[in-house]
Amino acid sequence: MPPPRTYHCDALILKHIPFGESGLLVTFYTADRGKVRAVARGARRSNSKLVGHLEPLTQARLTIRRGLNLDDVEQVQAIESFGALKDDLDSITNGFYVAELVDGFGAENGANHPLYQLAIETLHAVAGESQPYLPLRCFDLQLLNVSGLKPELYRCVECRRELEPGRHRFSPALGGAMCLDCRPTDALVMPLSLQAVKVLRLLDRSSPGSIQPVRMGQNLKREVQGLLEVTLEYWLDFQIRSNSFLKDLNRESRSAVYT
Amino acid sequence: MSMGPLPAASPSLARLVQELHKLPGIGPKSAQRLAYHLIRLPEDEALALADAITSVKRNVIFCQDCQNLTDISPCSICQEPRRNQGQICVVEDPLDVMALERTHCYDGLYHVLHGVISPLNGVTAHDLKLGDLFKRLEAGSVEELVIATNPTLEGEATSMYIRRHLEGRDIRITHLARGLPVGGSLEYSDDQTLRRAFQGRQEL
Repeated sequence: MPPPRTYHCDALILKHIPFGESGLLVTFYTADRGKVRAVARGARRSNSKLVGHLEPLTQARLTIRRGLNLDDVEQVQAIESFGALKDDLDSITNGFYVAELVDGFGAENGANHPLYQLAIETLHAVAGESQPYLPLRCFDLQLLNVSGLKPELYRCVECRRELEPGRHRFSPALGGAMCLDCRPTDALVMPLSLQAVKVLRLLDRSSPGSIQPVRMGQNLKREVQGLLEVTLEYWLDFQIRSNSFLKDLNRESRSAVYT
Repeated sequence: MSMGPLPAASPSLARLVQELHKLPGIGPKSAQRLAYHLIRLPEDEALALADAITSVKRNVIFCQDCQNLTDISPCSICQEPRRNQGQICVVEDPLDVMALERTHCYDGLYHVLHGVISPLNGVTAHDLKLGDLFKRLEAGSVEELVIATNPTLEGEATSMYIRRHLEGRDIRITHLARGLPVGGSLEYSDDQTLRRAFQGRQEL
């Protein structure tokens, strides 16, 4: 029996681009089908019934009609619009960051329900949050975990000995922490402080929605974020653009430059 | 996407198909149909199209003030003396200027950004004509900035970015009303649209 012509799915809308005269080519991450791209015909018209429900960073229930090349969005109903996330530029950029990473790590036709749940939980956690650092870093590490790229944080990836308290190294290519005695063969190897190991282990045990606040200095924050950023970009093989934009924003806010 | 060699024994026709295929929304079949249509056109009509393309590429420039596409700089809108020089309406692209001009309800000046901030699509603030806008505002003659970016997430992000840059400046910043479109229906509206429609409700 041929598969049904339409199917329903819950999804997080990641992005869209104009398609044809008045349509949108929408990319969304579904709970049970992975990343899907489909055309929403006529969605750019002001009286379209689809467009508001297809805004990026919206969790929606979609009805999709299978097409020869691309599927068509037939119906869509927003489940959660994340209104608080869309009221502030920093929050929106954090949302873009989550969407960009889900887009990068999510595979087409590869269902990954934990990844979908993680994305939704993270958006809830950072919406309207004035201190989104820990939920976002937790998202970074958990994203690696649910993608099958969990970094080793307890043993040296070279000699397999348990890490002892002290300074270590971290190698994205070799997959985690290394003791100082082992010679790194990876050019991307970075120093790893004891405090950073502790924070990474905390992120590993937590989830973005339930992580407890921890007092961290700016240097430690930079170190942890840097380690995770390099690791994510190593696996993605491209620079995280929304991260660069967020850094630009923070820099501009600090210097308050009027160009 | 590159196209394979055409079975037609005409390299110039194959080249035309390939060039048409590069246009947005034109697939390989459409490119072939358009190419054959152009061949069947009378010579003067086909050459008029070629001349229009050449003329656009040679003559169209950015207006030095509003960054709209124009043949002369400043453009005809910026040169109109009856325009309110104290109002600037910020839009995403030149087609938005045409849409607003059709309404005859705005008599100020424009500023065209040529896009919106969209990190997911690789567009940041530096890729837009925002620096020109901020320089223009430094002259001090602008009293109101009307932000008319599309009510999309990227449009909102761009609007917030502009607002953040101009914080503390003595300029009134407004944006177009958000809410239900004419001919739309409540039943099919999303939560954000309805929320904003309620926030922007007016006395009857």
